[in-house]
Amino acid sequence: MNLDWLDAFLVSGLFYVVMVIGLALLLHLQLGLARIANFGIVGFWGIGMYAFGVLFVKVDWPFGEVWAFLISMAFGTVVAGLAGLLVGWLIADLDIDGVLVGTLGFATAVWIVATTEQDLTGGALGMGGLGFPYDIGSVKANETLWLVILTIVVASILYYVSRVHKSPYGRLLISIGDNQPLARSLGKASFRSKLWLFAGSSAGMGLLGAMYGVNERFLETANIGIDLTLAVMVGLVLGSTTQVWGAVVGVALTVGLFDIVIQFYLPLPREWYTQAIPVLREMVFGAVLIIVLLFRPYGVLGDMRRDKLMRRMHGG
Amino acid sequence: MDLISDSLVIGLTEHAPLVLAAMGFALLYRLTGLINVAYSETITLGAYLGMWINTTYDLNFYTILLPAGLLAGLVSVATYFAIFRPAKHRNVGALEMIIISFGLSIVLRHGLQFIFGYPVRFYDVPPPHTIFVLGVGVSSFRLLALGSVLILALLLFWFIQKTTFGLQIRALASDEDLAQVSGIRPLVVTVMIWFLAGVAGGLAGAFYGVGSSVAPLLGWRQFLFILLVVLVGGTKNIGGVIIAGIATGVALTAMTLQFGQVLYAQLALITAFVIILKLRGRRMADTEKV
Repeated sequence: MNLDWLDAFLVSGLFYVVMVIGLALLLHLQLGLARIANFGIVGFWGIGMYAFGVLFVKVDWPFGEVWAFLISMAFGTVVAGLAGLLVGWLIADLDIDGVLVGTLGFATAVWIVATTEQDLTGGALGMGGLGFPYDIGSVKANETLWLVILTIVVASILYYVSRVHKSPYGRLLISIGDNQPLARSLGKASFRSKLWLFAGSSAGMGLLGAMYGVNERFLETANIGIDLTLAVMVGLVLGSTTQVWGAVVGVALTVGLFDIVIQFYLPLPREWYTQAIPVLREMVFGAVLIIVLLFRPYGVLGDMRRDKLMRRMHGG
Repeated sequence: MDLISDSLVIGLTEHAPLVLAAMGFALLYRLTGLINVAYSETITLGAYLGMWINTTYDLNFYTILLPAGLLAGLVSVATYFAIFRPAKHRNVGALEMIIISFGLSIVLRHGLQFIFGYPVRFYDVPPPHTIFVLGVGVSSFRLLALGSVLILALLLFWFIQKTTFGLQIRALASDEDLAQVSGIRPLVVTVMIWFLAGVAGGLAGAFYGVGSSVAPLLGWRQFLFILLVVLVGGTKNIGGVIIAGIATGVALTAMTLQFGQVLYAQLALITAFVIILKLRGRRMADTEKV
């Protein structure tokens, strides 16, 4: 396949954007519907990435590489889901302060383990040996196919989220998010619903982390910093925390703009890209969070989902 | 016995800034109900300001403490007027307030990087004297930090419990409407709270900075522990924060000496604190807040 027309940097930029959209969609389920402020997104993403990497690289598999790859990928997802189950159990009945501590603490714990367990993770030096489960020619072709696979995964998440919105389960999550004591008093299993939602969406974050690890081929602790959590959160808040397409629109306007348009297409001085642009990017993201929440709390797309729901319920 | 004395001396002196920072954060949290993530940048700001005054005007470390603390306090008040007050007037929810403060934290952190440059910076101070306490060598800066924390803790305690202004702060924390009816001006009291919290955070930052180096993540790396100390120790009063802060410092040191790895000690402490919060979860929701 001739991919000369395709810029390799564009492929890697698009991969990051699509992955952040996937994470923002999962955060939408947690924050937008159930009002669980997960500040530890990078922790669940990172544990999936490292669990996959460690199993794939460190274990001497007796069978083919494709099976080893798939089992490791499933392992990364399950480990992130189990971590979500544990953290969810800890925070599901805590107030906002407790949720902040629990999720932030978990992300810190993942960073600590990844940094200190050098025999397993390579520590600060990083861990190599990862690769694609196929070889269709050039590196660019392999990366492009992996981008297509990621896009299918994220599109599936988008479809699932849109189905949740239209389901009784989605309405249950919204009612829990709006008023948990009231939902509980009406006999709804608020704790259990939040717990499974959190575990499932955390597993999805872990899967995306594992897929990112494959694309990078090298795992570094520098990847599991707060920057990713910020990118996901700002994308969702800018788009709309309450709407299905909020994550897509918001991430395209923030990460897409900075990591593709500015990084690859603006003729800025070369030295800006190493330090000034990344710092400016974070400052703009932070400022966007403040401005949107102050002046347009439901983001660019507004709060139409709830309006529609109300109109349907009240026959308006 | 060595482990106990070493942990006590090193823990108390090395982690004294944690207690100071936690006191400032607790003041803000208890009296406004806000988890201000950007408080971590008040600490970083104090470290940078102290370093800048120290290296630019060639002033010694003890002299720069006052301007660094005051400037950090003023910036803290400025963030209240620029962001948190308008947010309150717009009835922004508690969760959104935390996200706003997270955004502000990112803006300030990277803004400081822009202003002060990207490399790690250091204070220009002579090598500290080593003083032996219970057979453990401690630097004079760290002993000064411990002394400052003790003095500031007593001052803050006296200010909150014994002065008219402190009475107004407590009244405002208990019932804002009633406090207003009683003639208390909430704005003046609130500004004072933000200022005092900023001063405490700035001073903690200066002590952190002189003890090691000044970098953009200085405050953020302490934030989780400050938050944990305040949530675990500070639901009743400022004394609880001091006790929890001291216990955290000593426990961290003891576990570091035992495991030989500070990160494992941090991990164990984070786990312990989160379990405590889980066990007390339902009570946390009932703590009184403005």
